[in-house]
Amino acid sequence: MASDLLSIARSGAQTARIALDVTAQNIANASTEGYVRRSVQLAEVAYPSGPGRTGNVSLSGVRLGGVIRNADQFRQAEMRRTGADAARAGAEIAGLENIEAAVEQSNVFPAMVQFEASLQQLAGDPVDPSLRAAVIEDARTMTRTFQIAATGLEAAGTSLRFEAAAGVEQVNLLAGELARVNLRLARTSDASSDQTALLDQRDLLLQRISEHVDVTTAFAADHTVSVKLGGSGGLDLVTGGSAGTLAMASAANGTISFTLNGSPVTPAAGALAGRAQALDKLGTVKADLDAIAASIISAANTVQTGGAALDGSAGQPLFSGTDAASFALALEDGAMLATAPAGSPANSRDPGNLDALRAALTAADPSGELDALVFDISGTISGRRITRDALDSIATTARIALETQSGVDLDNEAVNLIRFQQAFQASGRVMQVASTLFDTLLGIR
Amino acid sequence: MPLISTSTAAFYDRSVQSMGLLRQKAEGLQQQLGQGERLNRSSDDPVAASRLRSLARAGTFAGIDQTNANRAIADLTLTDDALSSFASFVIRAQELTTQAASTTLTPAQRAGIGTELAQIHGNLVSLANARDSAGHALFGGEAVGKPYALDGAGNASYVGTASAGELQLGDGLSVSRGLTGPEFLNFDANGTPTNLMAVVKALSENLQGASTDPALAAREALDALNTGLDKITTGQTLVGTRLAWIDLTSERRVNLSELRSSEEAEVGGTDLAAGIAEMQQIMLVLEASQASFTKLAGLSLFNSLR
Repeated sequence: MASDLLSIARSGAQTARIALDVTAQNIANASTEGYVRRSVQLAEVAYPSGPGRTGNVSLSGVRLGGVIRNADQFRQAEMRRTGADAARAGAEIAGLENIEAAVEQSNVFPAMVQFEASLQQLAGDPVDPSLRAAVIEDARTMTRTFQIAATGLEAAGTSLRFEAAAGVEQVNLLAGELARVNLRLARTSDASSDQTALLDQRDLLLQRISEHVDVTTAFAADHTVSVKLGGSGGLDLVTGGSAGTLAMASAANGTISFTLNGSPVTPAAGALAGRAQALDKLGTVKADLDAIAASIISAANTVQTGGAALDGSAGQPLFSGTDAASFALALEDGAMLATAPAGSPANSRDPGNLDALRAALTAADPSGELDALVFDISGTISGRRITRDALDSIATTARIALETQSGVDLDNEAVNLIRFQQAFQASGRVMQVASTLFDTLLGIR
Repeated sequence: MPLISTSTAAFYDRSVQSMGLLRQKAEGLQQQLGQGERLNRSSDDPVAASRLRSLARAGTFAGIDQTNANRAIADLTLTDDALSSFASFVIRAQELTTQAASTTLTPAQRAGIGTELAQIHGNLVSLANARDSAGHALFGGEAVGKPYALDGAGNASYVGTASAGELQLGDGLSVSRGLTGPEFLNFDANGTPTNLMAVVKALSENLQGASTDPALAAREALDALNTGLDKITTGQTLVGTRLAWIDLTSERRVNLSELRSSEEAEVGGTDLAAGIAEMQQIMLVLEASQASFTKLAGLSLFNSLR
């Protein structure tokens, strides 16, 4: 009986040691990303009494029931879902802001207004060489700002596509890693510290993937996970030990599309979806800018070739190019501006053709179109910003809710430390009592 | 285990997030106050930004309109001065003609008057070919060179364009740049169209012996000169009215630009008082949350474990 007392105390000391280990592990990983707080589950060891053995006491102490991982699958799924939404909105806004900066900071609108203004000033004296030179220089500035805007948009598109390609690579890497974790998970035994570490890794990988694309997960009894990209009817990204391959293709207009194992797939959330949406917007903005440049080129050249230059010769095209990127000045000499109607003599002060040019520009209204273009982008951003902020705060709330439940609370761990230390000391005390009992029995003479 | 548990990581996360948000707000305000502009980029307030763009565009055009108006004022003032000179020459011609109309003068005296009138004719032609502020013909409409050319016999003929052309003053308003020569030099004398220079030239030739009755010719010419003077005075009135019209549009432009500035300040400017007050408030909250964070973070149970 006394030996039982000793072994009970031993089991108590042993489990207290394990609990202290787990507590120390929790404290050490208090700020490890993806670490889920562990707690020990203890179980009593007692043997059932046999028949006819009334009053039998067979107590054998305590054993470790298992190491519990305090993770809530619902909260984790919520965190993945809201995180993917927030990542999509964040990536889209970042891309859109680059587009806005490219168009607005190129100063294309002020340059356009300045060109119109210098034409208006030329109307005051159409043969003044300095006013003519001012028109040519302002036209040059305007074409350059269009080029700067086009280059800026191109750069924004390139960086968006580059980031998207990096994201695709990341998803493939993470999916492969997740497949390997699945394989190892299938082989580990339940409630072991090995399994809990793998589960942590599994959840962390899922969360990382969900930052890039939206995923639907299904967990098997052996804790392995199968991942579908997109909604529940989506394509398989990871099943058991095998991972699919995500690929990206970019179209001629700069927009991107994705395939998973060769089948087309459209992510609805995650940074990849946000980048794809930003690139779609970039495509329309670029087309609009090109259309504005083309309208200026055709309006100015049509009128210019229908007039007479300062020396009385027929007017030559003012601009060359077909879109914003190739928009350039074709005339270098202010005297070549055809301000007078066709057939006018040299040095004619008749502003007929200049008036026609200004009327054509007013009809095409490029500055109004540019204003509308900038308004379109900035309005989109300011609308999306509200969505982004809302999604951000939802995602943050979900993350904090999960952390509150699964994260390590140092105060709590400090309490556990004292509690298990006392349990250990108490078990030691029991051993001492057992030893005293032995001594008492052995000391009988 | 229903301990009131806040994960340590969650606590730090939350603190960082809320303090970061406050800092961001304060920095945004600081930028607004520093620049005096509420909008940093269009997407801060797309509608206001678009309004600011159209206001800036209108401002640029108004500046050009003002330049054009100044040019028109200079040209019209030159026109006015030239018309005054025309008038004084015509008045001098009238005096001389009145003398010549008297039958008491000898033919030699009349011939002398005729010579002076020939001089006046020359002055009138060169005055009609005067230049404007930009070096173009003042009375030639949109003519390239001199508006009055002299033929072999010394007769001046108009070679300029029919009208002086309109100059835009903005908002659809315009003003005629000046007068063309025929507008104030041509008139009808006894039902036949003629012009001032032709009248003076004919008179000077008649007085110098081309006419058999120079006194009668002088009396007839007096009527024509009167009509010519009337025409010049009418021209001056016209120029004066146009100058007044430009003044009116300039005044309108100044009023509009004041309106524009006040709207720009309203739409895109920072309200300093409100901005500073808001900044103070945010700073206060930020300080408080920083202080409470340090207190809370220092409150660990481990400090009490000995």
